[in-house]
Amino acid sequence: MTNLPSDQLVQMETTCGSLLYELQVIWDEVGETDAERDKMLLELEQECLEVYRRKVDLANRCRAQLRQAIADAEAQLAAICSAMGERPVHIRQSTQNAGSLKEELKAITPQLEEMQKRKTERWNQFLEVIEQIRKITFEIGPTDYTPAKLVVDESDLSTRKLEELHKQLQCLQKEKSDRLKKVMDHLNSLNLLCDVLGIDFKQTVSDIHPCLDGAEGSKNISNETIQRLASAIEKLREIKLQRMQKLQDLASTMLELWNLMDTPIEEQQLFQNVTLNIAASEDEITEPNTLSIDFLSYVEAEVLRLEQLKASKMKDLVLKKKTELDELRRRTHLVGETNCEAEFAIEAIEAGAIDPSLALEQIEVQISTVKEEAFSRKDILERVEKWLAACEEESWLEEYNRDENRYNAGRGAHLTLKRAEKARALVNKIPAMVDNLAAKITAWEKERGLEFTYDGVRLLSMLEEYTIVRQEKEQERKRQRDQKKLQGQLIAEQEALYGSKPSPSKPQSMKKLPRTSTGVPSRRLSLGGAIMQPPKPDLLHSNKSIRSAKKTDDIDTLSPGRRGLDIAGLPVKKLSFNLVNPPREAETPRKPFAPIVIASNIPSTPTRLTSDETEEENKNNLKTTMAAPPPKTPMTAYIPMQMATTPAPPCLMYEAAATVKAQEAEEYEYSFEERRLALYLTR
Amino acid sequence: MSAAPPPSSGRELANPPSDGISNLRFSNHSDHLLVSSWDKTVRLYDAGANVLKGEFVHGGPVLDCCFHDDSSGFSACADHTVRRYVFSSGKEDILGRHDAPVRCVEYSYAAGQVITGSWDKTLKCWDPRGASGPDRTLVGTYQQPERVYSLSLVGHHLVVATAGRRVNVYDLRNMSQPEQRRESSLKYQTRCVRCYPNGTGFALSSVEGRVAMEFFDLSEAGQAKKYAFKCHRKSEAGRDTVYPVNAIAFHPIYGTFATGGCDGYVNVWDGNNKKRLYQYSKYPTSIAALSFSRDGRLLAVASSYTFEEGDMPHEPDAIFVRSVNEVEVKPKPKALPTPPP
Repeated sequence: MTNLPSDQLVQMETTCGSLLYELQVIWDEVGETDAERDKMLLELEQECLEVYRRKVDLANRCRAQLRQAIADAEAQLAAICSAMGERPVHIRQSTQNAGSLKEELKAITPQLEEMQKRKTERWNQFLEVIEQIRKITFEIGPTDYTPAKLVVDESDLSTRKLEELHKQLQCLQKEKSDRLKKVMDHLNSLNLLCDVLGIDFKQTVSDIHPCLDGAEGSKNISNETIQRLASAIEKLREIKLQRMQKLQDLASTMLELWNLMDTPIEEQQLFQNVTLNIAASEDEITEPNTLSIDFLSYVEAEVLRLEQLKASKMKDLVLKKKTELDELRRRTHLVGETNCEAEFAIEAIEAGAIDPSLALEQIEVQISTVKEEAFSRKDILERVEKWLAACEEESWLEEYNRDENRYNAGRGAHLTLKRAEKARALVNKIPAMVDNLAAKITAWEKERGLEFTYDGVRLLSMLEEYTIVRQEKEQERKRQRDQKKLQGQLIAEQEALYGSKPSPSKPQSMKKLPRTSTGVPSRRLSLGGAIMQPPKPDLLHSNKSIRSAKKTDDIDTLSPGRRGLDIAGLPVKKLSFNLVNPPREAETPRKPFAPIVIASNIPSTPTRLTSDETEEENKNNLKTTMAAPPPKTPMTAYIPMQMATTPAPPCLMYEAAATVKAQEAEEYEYSFEERRLALYLTR
Repeated sequence: MSAAPPPSSGRELANPPSDGISNLRFSNHSDHLLVSSWDKTVRLYDAGANVLKGEFVHGGPVLDCCFHDDSSGFSACADHTVRRYVFSSGKEDILGRHDAPVRCVEYSYAAGQVITGSWDKTLKCWDPRGASGPDRTLVGTYQQPERVYSLSLVGHHLVVATAGRRVNVYDLRNMSQPEQRRESSLKYQTRCVRCYPNGTGFALSSVEGRVAMEFFDLSEAGQAKKYAFKCHRKSEAGRDTVYPVNAIAFHPIYGTFATGGCDGYVNVWDGNNKKRLYQYSKYPTSIAALSFSRDGRLLAVASSYTFEEGDMPHEPDAIFVRSVNEVEVKPKPKALPTPPP
């Protein structure tokens, strides 16, 4: 009241007084009683009191409202701050703040507004993120989408929460991009497969999901889509494999048919792309339409055509195969079944009675059996070839030996000599070869339970025949030698009695004289009794055993005797010449002692002896040693060493090797002394 | 030399051993001949006088013998012992032992040692000057790849031929390991090895009628000289019969050599000119051993079956001593001069 301008108050007081005065005047006029006047004055004061009271209440109420507003604002601020995760900026400073309520309110209101603004901002951010999340989740899995899950909790608007949501968003975005990539990959594969298989890509893809069809635009990336894509791919792959298999089968059939029918190259090249892929793997076939249905039918048609062609050519084919079979059989010296069977087959095919492919199959089977057999026979057949070659050489050698002129030095004589040398070596090997071969054949026969035939004849019997023939020849030769020996003996006796010349038929036997015959003269007969001493047993034995088991015992008895015999001829002759004929005639056509003059490069040839020396020596011997101990005829000739490079030449070894090998039996070597000691200890 | 012309095979020594002769050797000082035999004896003869001067009996067949000097000698016995004899006193003792029969014995003047080779695959060197007894005399044992079949000395070279055709060449001054390890260039078992008197190499013979002439010098030039030749073979009807060559002996003066084989022949060869000089008349049975006397005028030939074909009846074992004529052993170079290379 004191704030009211004083003049107003004064005015009012004046008004109130004047009014009272007026009132009193009125009462006076009216004549109102004092009670009435007091009542009226009380009423007046009460009314005035009422009015004051009303005004005070109002003011109170205002003040309360103000306080309430401040409190509200503070509460709100606190709520916002806590929701946003920030510390409340404004703390109720009831004690400090000395300002009035209105001032307080004024202070807090902008803060509140500020916070509210921020809250709204934050809220918006949240909404944004959530919206995006929602969107992506929906894209990823519409069925999974549950809106309830994404309600933003208003009470938590902190940055931490916001970051969480951001992370979630990122994850979802990544997932989305992954799926998208997957879908694109699938679409690519699908595209490739469709290309190869000749299937419409767009159609396939729209079947899965329409949106995939479009080149641009967002693609559906739901699980379902992806699965459907994957299964579509799988299905197509299977189809691809199937068709590939089929195509490769067709291609190999085609190749077979081409092979069978000698198809020209130009035709073959048309299908080059097919045959190229015959062994390709799944990943290697990538060209468009190589596995499309059309293409497959195209190839199939071609194969069919070829097969029909084949059927028409079947007859020719059968014949061709038959000749192949025959050739194979011939090469392995197998005799197949009789040929009339083949002719039957041809006629039957022509008549349509037999399915040519059956016949062909049969022949194929036969061919493969023959090939198998050929393989197992190969080794033996090779040996047989060698043996036959050796037999040829043997017969050539026999002829050659019979040829009287073979030592004439004609053109190319050295070649034949060389050949003879080789042939002799080969001939020596023949018995071993035959044995070896026979062993192998028996082993083969045992293993297979069949006979080994060579051109229809049992090979073993061939070998046996051969050995028998050989033995017979040996015996024949031996018999001839025996005969000659007998002849010689007779002649010698004749000479002893009559002093006649030796028959000129001797030369052949003399050619076989040994080179060195110095030891033999010691066994020479004395002229008085023309009885042959049996050669000394040790010589016989040593000859025999050193020569090991060559069947022919007789030869051993023969040779020393023969030598003795021939030599026996000589002194007689000489004697007769000395007595009767001039020495000039000592030149007989063929001296028994003078070996043949042969080129020295052949190792086993006898060496040269000058006949003069021998003759002289012999004469001397004769004069001095008629009844004396055997004369000596040392070799005074100057003889070159027989050198040859080791290993030993083939002509050596049969007997010596046999002995040596016997020594080295059990693959352990012993010297003579060791064996002798062993024997010694057992005695 | 006796006045009467000697028989073609030479003079047969009286009182030969009663079983096979394994080796015989002339002394370096006289015409004494030492003979080892399968009848378990070692005999000493005076070859000139044809007199048996001493006989030593062993525990088993004696496989080799050699002189030390004119008064003592050594032997290799199948009872694994190496023995020494003093001829004058008739004493003998055991110098040492091997683990198997001792096959070869040699005395090296250069090293002053006795060298023995045995079928126990070792070579042992013994010093005979030390006190006797196997423990004190053994100088060294040298492992060989196989059983020793033959050995020969010249100067400082020792050549050992073993089974399996192996040949070791040692320098006696350093026996720790062979100077050369070789393989015989012949394809068959080695029978005998002998060094050339001039010390440049050795001759090696095999059971297959072949002799190889080898050289110690391993250079190309040295090895170019080596060669082999066939010998002691008989050719009949296009087939060769081949005999082991049991013995080789070098003439001390001319350097030519004689070989003896199971064919009963002794051949004399000129190794340098690659020719055969002579062939003596055939002996009754295989030639088991050969030895020239120190002046090269006598050749002792042991004609004794060497069991190359196992146990067989055979001629009696005999020793022939023949005089050697110059024409039989003197080398004959080619008549024409060789053209310049």
